[in-house]
Amino acid sequence: MADRLLFSKTGRAKYISHLDLMRTFQRAFARAKIPIKHTEGFNPHPFVSIALPLSVGYSSQCEILEFGLLEGTSYEEVPARLTAAMPEGIVVHQCYPAQRKLKELASLNYIMNFEYPEGRPQAAEPAMRELLGRESLVVQKKSNKSKKGYTEVDLISLIRGWNLECQSDTMTLDAVLSAQNPGLNPELIRAAFCQAYPQFAPDFVTFHRREVLDIEGKPFR
Amino acid sequence: MNRTLEHILPNVQKPARYTGGEYNAVVKDKQTVKTRFALCFPDTYEIGMSNLGCRILYGLMNERKDVWCERCFAPWGDMEEEMRREGLLLYGLESGDPISDFDIIGFSLGYEMAYSNVLNMLDLAEVPLRSADRPDLTPLVVAGGTCCYNPEPLAPFIDFFSLGEGEEVTLEYIDLYQQAKEEGWSKEEFLREVAKIPGIYVPSLYDVTYHEDGTVAAITPKDEAPATVTKRIVQDMNKSYFPVKTIIPSTEIVHDRVMLELFRGCIRGCRFCQAGYAYRPVRSRDPKLLAEYGKAACEDSGYQEMTLSSLSSTDYPCLMELCDDLLDYCAPRDIGLSLPSLRADTFSMNLMERLQRVRKGGLTFAPEAGTQRLRDAINKNLREEDLLQSCRTAFSGGWSGVKLYFMLGLPTETDEDVLGIADLARKVYFAWRECTPNKARGVRITVSTSWFVPKPHTAFQWDAQIPVEEYQRRVNLLRDALKRDKSITYNWHDPETSYLEAVFSRGDRRLADVLEWAWAHGAKMDSWSEYFDFQRWMDALSACGLDGDFYAHRVREKDEVFPWSVPSVGVSRDFLWRERELCYQSQTTPDCRTRCSGCGANKLLTGGGRCG
Repeated sequence: MADRLLFSKTGRAKYISHLDLMRTFQRAFARAKIPIKHTEGFNPHPFVSIALPLSVGYSSQCEILEFGLLEGTSYEEVPARLTAAMPEGIVVHQCYPAQRKLKELASLNYIMNFEYPEGRPQAAEPAMRELLGRESLVVQKKSNKSKKGYTEVDLISLIRGWNLECQSDTMTLDAVLSAQNPGLNPELIRAAFCQAYPQFAPDFVTFHRREVLDIEGKPFR
Repeated sequence: MNRTLEHILPNVQKPARYTGGEYNAVVKDKQTVKTRFALCFPDTYEIGMSNLGCRILYGLMNERKDVWCERCFAPWGDMEEEMRREGLLLYGLESGDPISDFDIIGFSLGYEMAYSNVLNMLDLAEVPLRSADRPDLTPLVVAGGTCCYNPEPLAPFIDFFSLGEGEEVTLEYIDLYQQAKEEGWSKEEFLREVAKIPGIYVPSLYDVTYHEDGTVAAITPKDEAPATVTKRIVQDMNKSYFPVKTIIPSTEIVHDRVMLELFRGCIRGCRFCQAGYAYRPVRSRDPKLLAEYGKAACEDSGYQEMTLSSLSSTDYPCLMELCDDLLDYCAPRDIGLSLPSLRADTFSMNLMERLQRVRKGGLTFAPEAGTQRLRDAINKNLREEDLLQSCRTAFSGGWSGVKLYFMLGLPTETDEDVLGIADLARKVYFAWRECTPNKARGVRITVSTSWFVPKPHTAFQWDAQIPVEEYQRRVNLLRDALKRDKSITYNWHDPETSYLEAVFSRGDRRLADVLEWAWAHGAKMDSWSEYFDFQRWMDALSACGLDGDFYAHRVREKDEVFPWSVPSVGVSRDFLWRERELCYQSQTTPDCRTRCSGCGANKLLTGGGRCG
């Protein structure tokens, strides 16, 4: 099986798109002089693949990248050397041989921070609890495959668990969401909340991926 | 990161353009630097980051401990809208601080159609547009780049222009600025002093008067400003700064690869080519040094592609030696090596064969004119047989596409010359039929024509751009001639931007009002079809009582005082006039290595004055 990196993507690096991030890694491996496997064919290039692409603008401390380490570099030295070759905001934490398949990656823990710089309306909290407590919550999701241009998703069935905490000017939703087949983008929760309770729409929402989990809820590596 | 910026970014396309933080971006402590410089490129991040000159200046300035140079680009419309709504001022990418707080705001001017962005960027920074409305020393608004050889349309907006290569003069004027700031000089005092630095043109130190017919009567220097400001050059390319360690964007840009600058200047002397005259004299870098730079730049950047850059790579004396050296390094590492600006001769084709081991896409040649007579007249010393031989070699080697670039409206062009383009394209087609190993695959021959824009400081600076109706007629003539050739595609350049280029490239100070009017009525990003509005510019001209045709379509008298009479590229006006006369006799001038034609640019070289 392939090798893996665990890395975080925060700060200014949040805005690097998925494709650009792959290119950035390909170049960073070269800069760090860490030889990795190349694809075969007419136009060979360094092979890298990122599991579960992160939306532009989201931060994460648990991204996984697959690649093939060639002889000559030990797993231990990769994180520091690669981080030194990275743009601001990308930090490589671990490098290790993959032990399990990516399809065992079941869910993602997101922290969503709803910002109310003018002060949080008291009733925003019960409103969110009401929304997430529903039996089902069907929303429309853009889809290029569907003829209608959208598909319908029941958010509740894809939320594995959640916890809500409030401060004077923020409301923090800590939620575990289905990761794949299908996965749930936390943006849909924000959109559903703002649609159901437009009067409590926050000024801004930040999204942070905190952990990738397996089916038992343990960190996936 | 700035909170407002963070809230804006999710709403805009390609936000990575606006964040900074790339690998090798230079971040300094602003408390420890004396001078903050905003290096502004009046186009998008993707275009500006591809500019080698800006990378050189960025590296050079940041090597100095007391200077912090940051980058600033023109935001796309969606970003501009958000910035204006949220009151976010134009900022330096490295610090996120508004550039209005910087000491010097410096623009790179490479294209006339970017002028509206200069004004828009100043406005986004809340810096007053006109130099006269900025009484303080700080921030200074300066500009450099090829357009500065006739910067008159921007004269009222820019405090001073830096002519020629910026490696030395930039540091010199920063030194003077630091002295001025420490000693508390007024802006006027500083401008008078900076005008004494060779290569610095302070437009406010010149009074321009006009004849009744609109031509310039006189340009009178004030306060001891020099009558001629000659561009600066780097004397020794082997000692000049090369940006080995340079910013690697985290998002894709136009030229996303290592750029290796072989030499400056060009030996060819094409009479229409401003770059060919403006970058004289020819100065080469040592091939060993270049190979070292190239390897080091690949190692530092992680780029998988390298390109050799110059005005005419084939004319680099040690090209084979350099390519062999580089290939030894690149080939085992899967690093692609590309060579643009090749001449269509056999030597170049053999080289291409060696470089492009894998992908065989299209080839591009620029014969510029369809007949030998006209190619001689413009001194494009390319023989038809050389071009066809190159095509034969390429087609035999498996290439299946050729792009041919021409200009319509060159001085002395006749219908015969226009139809010659069609003949030449057909000969290229027959060369393909003759040589291709695979007829079934077909061939794509693309003919593109643009509308010739006479540029200042060229042999054609006196000439008229042909009227738009005439350009259109010649386009139609060629289109009809190529109608039946299914393998030949004909594209022609839309005339509207070429007209405005012709107006502004040889324009005078009165066009500043036109620029400001157009900007105030929404002009920006004029090199992008999404934003360009020709009618707005025509309205601007008429609102200011000026006639664009006066600038574009008028033949100048031999002794006319040009608006660009103060800036000098080191090439004498007499030489350019001689070249023009030779054009009208369809006489060629040999290249600079065959025989020196005495253009005068060798006088820019200290110690001996030999071009090379």
